[in-house]
Amino acid sequence: MRPASTPPTFPYPIVETRLDNGLAVVAVPVDSPGLAAHYLAVRTGSRNEVEPGLSGFAHFFEHMMFRGTPRFPPDRYNDVLKRLGADGNAFTTDDWTCYHVTAAAAALDTVMDLESDRFMNLEYGVEAFQKEAGAVLGEYNKNHSIPLNALLEKLQDTAYTTHTYKHTTMGFLADIEAMPNHYDYSRLFFRRWYRPDNAALVVVGDVRPDDVFALARRRWGAWIPGAASLATPVEPEQTGERVARMPWPTPTLPHLALAFHAPAFDPTDLSGRALDVIAQAEFAPTSPLYTELVLRRQWVDWLWAGAEDHRDPTLFLVIARLKDPATLDDVRSAIEGTLASAGANLLPADRLAAVKSRLRYGFLQGLQTPDQIAGTVCTYLQLTGDTPSIDATQATLERVGAEDVRSSAAATFRAANRTVVTLAHAPGPRAS
Amino acid sequence: MKTLVLESPGSPFVAIRVLFEAGSADDPRGKEGLAALTGSLLVEGGAGPRSYAQILDALYPMAAGIGVHVDREVTVVHGTVHRDHLLPFYELMRDVLLAPRFDAADLERLRADQSNAITAGLRATDDEGLGKEALDAMIHAGGPYGRPVEGSVRGIAAVTRQDVIAFRRQSYTRDRLTIGLGGAVPDGFAQRIAADLAALPERGPDRVPLPPPREPRGLETLLVTKPCRAWAISIGFPLDVTRADDDFYPLYVANSYLGEHRTFNGLLMNAMRADRGLNYGDYSYVEAFVQDGLSTFPLPNLPRRRQAFTMWIRPVAPENAHFAMRQAMRLLARVVRDGLTAAAFAETRDFLLAYSRLWVQTPARRLGYAMDGAFYGRKNLVDELQERLRDLRVEDVNAAIRRHLRADRAFAAVVADPEGVERFVRALGSNAPSPISYATDTKPEVLDEDKEIAVFPLPVDAERIRIVPAEALFETAELPAGAA
Repeated sequence: MRPASTPPTFPYPIVETRLDNGLAVVAVPVDSPGLAAHYLAVRTGSRNEVEPGLSGFAHFFEHMMFRGTPRFPPDRYNDVLKRLGADGNAFTTDDWTCYHVTAAAAALDTVMDLESDRFMNLEYGVEAFQKEAGAVLGEYNKNHSIPLNALLEKLQDTAYTTHTYKHTTMGFLADIEAMPNHYDYSRLFFRRWYRPDNAALVVVGDVRPDDVFALARRRWGAWIPGAASLATPVEPEQTGERVARMPWPTPTLPHLALAFHAPAFDPTDLSGRALDVIAQAEFAPTSPLYTELVLRRQWVDWLWAGAEDHRDPTLFLVIARLKDPATLDDVRSAIEGTLASAGANLLPADRLAAVKSRLRYGFLQGLQTPDQIAGTVCTYLQLTGDTPSIDATQATLERVGAEDVRSSAAATFRAANRTVVTLAHAPGPRAS
Repeated sequence: MKTLVLESPGSPFVAIRVLFEAGSADDPRGKEGLAALTGSLLVEGGAGPRSYAQILDALYPMAAGIGVHVDREVTVVHGTVHRDHLLPFYELMRDVLLAPRFDAADLERLRADQSNAITAGLRATDDEGLGKEALDAMIHAGGPYGRPVEGSVRGIAAVTRQDVIAFRRQSYTRDRLTIGLGGAVPDGFAQRIAADLAALPERGPDRVPLPPPREPRGLETLLVTKPCRAWAISIGFPLDVTRADDDFYPLYVANSYLGEHRTFNGLLMNAMRADRGLNYGDYSYVEAFVQDGLSTFPLPNLPRRRQAFTMWIRPVAPENAHFAMRQAMRLLARVVRDGLTAAAFAETRDFLLAYSRLWVQTPARRLGYAMDGAFYGRKNLVDELQERLRDLRVEDVNAAIRRHLRADRAFAAVVADPEGVERFVRALGSNAPSPISYATDTKPEVLDEDKEIAVFPLPVDAERIRIVPAEALFETAELPAGAA
């Protein structure tokens, strides 16, 4: 048994190589009898949507990747996966796109054949392209009744002026509705970004790394490199508070969100990990603020804070859902008081230790299945381009001291760096 | 009292699931929501020497939680913890199970949360969930399955602390208890928990039998109105089989062919989303189904004494709602009439044999499936499928379809914007054609089929179409009559 005081790092062996075409290939053998997860990460997401009118395209394109090749048209692609009993899907984020298939380890060659074929030979007609645009609009529609989605959409749009994080991964509605018109652009998008030098392959499960590398060379070796490099616009420093309000047509609970610009992910940056500590220490269910707002006064039923790791400068968010709109000002000043105090006072040592323990064990808890492990490895690979960043990040977290936490809070939670968005019930047509 | 131990020595985690056969089906009339509130107050109302805040403090460095899952038939207290912390974690869980405090302030907090889950959650901002609950309310009208596990707004308001204490005493009893342990379970741990939980009362009152479900006359449709951009549709009818019955397994194959959840295997998904871009997805089910988190796998511990066949049509543009209902019912009718071909059967069977093995990758999920097997007096679903599907024949599947599925009568719940409802009701009630037009290129064979779908007769009785505003649902145990 590991003593509780020793920081556990990534608990599985990571074996990696790089193919001649630039594709990073990572194998993680774990005890998962007979199963293997095959994850292909493309380091392109809504962050790369720099052209006006084309927001949401990375996510839309993820859908198009299921529209077939000459060898494996969609029906046949699906038939093969079906026969394997595979669990396959994809998702897109601000920074990257992930294509994953989990199946019997014995089927790994078939899975690689299928997956590599579509990355090299994707082919679809205008009709399929336009039908898929309908499915993407359907995805937007199914999310539309959920206030949190609208809140985040408004928050990003308000907090950013220039950087592509201004729009969500789904994209602006007007751009989604215009997607059927952009067939030619979709081919350009594929040529630009779907290249081995902009991707990584991660295989986790009941596998031997040498076998994985041999299969990868055979199946992925012919993929032609040549990824584009387009500059992402730089967000200028925010110089004054920004505020927005969203009326909501149905009787939702009011939502309050505060956002502060925060640094891009860097595994060795103490200030970034310090923000993780602040999110826990000041907003987790054991924090004084949570105890006060959620348990004692019962003004808030959901409180969350954190800065999601991003390749470019990100946002530290605090979101509260309130039970009664009348408490909005009080809740906001309680949150702002907490943030100000975090920048002025040192976190007690026992609290800092508890937070680090929480983050360590939480990290391990999220590494139980091949899918979870592969997802984690891909996340760091897309952020940094390498896997040592996984342990480096954990090591940086261990080094965070109370003064790092205080100074990171003081630098981040300034009024001029703040965006505040509220969403509350107000009958009438919904603003968009 | 039953104990299930599924060791996985390779895992550094221990999963504990303590299941009582007590759920919202046991809610007394007028106190709908009592089982859910008892469950949440059990784990969030303090225990032994600690307030809830103190329990949170103790759990925090372990990155573990004591959760509760209340469904119609079961209450499951659960947690997964790294073996480094097993004993202190277990002692907290033991206090929760044996010495809950049910603090009054926590009761009021959780009562408000549970009520808000209906008023501000389900009715206001969860159109797809609302459609599913409205369908359940039609299928199980008047019965305890006919409302959300959260209960009714008035029922939640009526629950007292004494009700919670009494519900726990009567329902969290040894005769209804299954203890499940998975992962890195140390020697002697199962015996210790069993000895501790022997302090629970031996037995409570017998469970109340479920009333029979209601049979639809034709396609009985309920429009639930609220402002919405796209309309969510749920269609279904009661089913007379569960995992306890042999016919469930061939039906499971048939359903996978028609509408396997979130895959492109199903007829519904391919015809409605892939060929026509109508919406994000279209699936069907032969038992209660909730997706486990972001995975596509079924959440365990939703056992039911009675099941329903359902189709989930994700939100469609209002002008396509009539067409979408027709297309779903037409595809169902085709499966009922023609069954599966030998080839389709073989593909679907092979898929399920391999896919179901992916459902049990963590100690907690393995335990959940094993416990569900015990509820039905069967093995866990994965093992049942592995054994039964190998010997299954296409004739068995098609015979089961004929015995249990039909397309001539069903309930439909449609979450609709008030603005378009009147026109929709007139068209639905008169079986008026519902042609579809696309702003985009469409394959000629799809356009040809669309002409047939647009006039496919739905067995609608115009007298039995009802309109109810969303805010009127789940105020009480009764489904409001609504306007015709």
